[in-house]
Amino acid sequence: MAVILYHWEPNANSGKPMLTLAEKGVAYESRYLDLLQFDQHKPAYLAVNPDGTIPAMVHGSRVLTESTPMMEYIDEAFPGPPLKPADAKARWRMRWWMRFFDAYFAPSLSMIGWSIFIGPAARHRPPEELRAAIDRIPLESRRIAWRKALFNEFLPEEIAESKRRVLFATAALERHLSRSAWIAGDRYSLGDINGFNLGYALPLSQPEHCNDSKTPHIMEWLRRIYERPAARETWAKGRTQMATRIKILERTPSA
Amino acid sequence: MLELFTSEPNVLFLKPLIALAEKRAPYTLRYFDAANFEQFADGFPSDLESSLQLEREGPLLLHDGTLISSSFFMLEYISEALPGDSLLPGDPYDAYRARAWGQYLGAQLGSIVPVLGAAKYLQPHLAALDPEVVDRRIAAIEPIERRTGWLAVRNGSYTPDYLESVHERLGAPLARIEAALRAGPWLAGPAFSIADIDAYPMLCVLPDLAAASVNAQSTPRIFEYLGRIAARDSLREALRTARTPHPERQFVPGIEASRWG
Repeated sequence: MAVILYHWEPNANSGKPMLTLAEKGVAYESRYLDLLQFDQHKPAYLAVNPDGTIPAMVHGSRVLTESTPMMEYIDEAFPGPPLKPADAKARWRMRWWMRFFDAYFAPSLSMIGWSIFIGPAARHRPPEELRAAIDRIPLESRRIAWRKALFNEFLPEEIAESKRRVLFATAALERHLSRSAWIAGDRYSLGDINGFNLGYALPLSQPEHCNDSKTPHIMEWLRRIYERPAARETWAKGRTQMATRIKILERTPSA
Repeated sequence: MLELFTSEPNVLFLKPLIALAEKRAPYTLRYFDAANFEQFADGFPSDLESSLQLEREGPLLLHDGTLISSSFFMLEYISEALPGDSLLPGDPYDAYRARAWGQYLGAQLGSIVPVLGAAKYLQPHLAALDPEVVDRRIAAIEPIERRTGWLAVRNGSYTPDYLESVHERLGAPLARIEAALRAGPWLAGPAFSIADIDAYPMLCVLPDLAAASVNAQSTPRIFEYLGRIAARDSLREALRTARTPHPERQFVPGIEASRWG
């Protein structure tokens, strides 16, 4: 059965199935959607995922639209190296951290990203066109997010709280990685794939808080993942400047 | 050794009790009164994950030294780690659907139902306690996200307008469940699974808390579904752990609503 993946840049939710498929060695048909052109709200894509969220994966007659459960599906449905630990306690830890990334760390980091990058990058259109684009979004929660980004309606206290949470979550992750080489324990897993998609650009976007002296374990963890062939292959599929941010993880030869 | 730290069998606390009963797993029950802050007592089990967990209040499972928190993943753990029939669908796509339900309903019902329950039952309960003691207990809660859940109840932030907006948010998840039950009796595949064990405790209190939204006329399939699960031996066994006459009235702050609006 063929696999079709609808995705944007190798980043955040889109990057999670991209890197998982690459690690498993599963060939897939890539359908790139330009988030900034609102491709994900056009009829052709809404026929695949009526919620209009990215990514979506089609495997034969099966449609999958939730990126984290999608990663577990890819691991279970295809041959290739296992990406979930064999031990049930380690699998629980992997899932716990994926939820912390998805529901706490990522929403705060993305609010900052949407306010400084997504909003300004998609804003250069007449207001009527932007409003019409927002009206086509199926989910109320996504309409609110796009309205805030496109019309710069984030409140200063919302952004301040997001920044506080990013620092708090970064410190929690550093603490976790100081006791365990990988998210789930002693082996690379879906938890690392998830965390990498969230955090690969942290040393660039939060240089004063995520760096070799303050968060040495996070830095080493990110570099170890960056050095994996599957990560190289996946980030090479990026079409915009966004994907090039990963080069911050290149090790500098010691003098 | 398997120990379940739990409070009255309601909402999140009910979930692992059902799963353990389905598995017929022997365990030691460690009861605490969550509405009276006993989970903050010295010596209560805690680690990095349990202190940061996003459900804020909930059951903990201590298995051979590892502390399992976060109720949906606790159900997956019980299904995978304990002997007995699997409670997770064997087909990867059905397992995907079970996990997608867990994620979706956790964010939706998990942030709605506790607010409705706290407004009706926890708020008057806290108001009847010594205010000085309540304030001191709440002020000591870490991290701030967990404390904020209690403060909202204590400070009466549940205004009629806010509660109306919370009631409105019920519409989307209820419609999604009602539509899914058109295809079969269970949420994820042909058999009863952790998706149902996860959903039931958040749904079964709604005929009380949101009678206009969940009833035999507006949501007939959900209504029948609740009856189907209520008839299971595992549910009856889980409810036998109650220490008050009305476990369905004990609520604690739940998951924070999305900060994106």
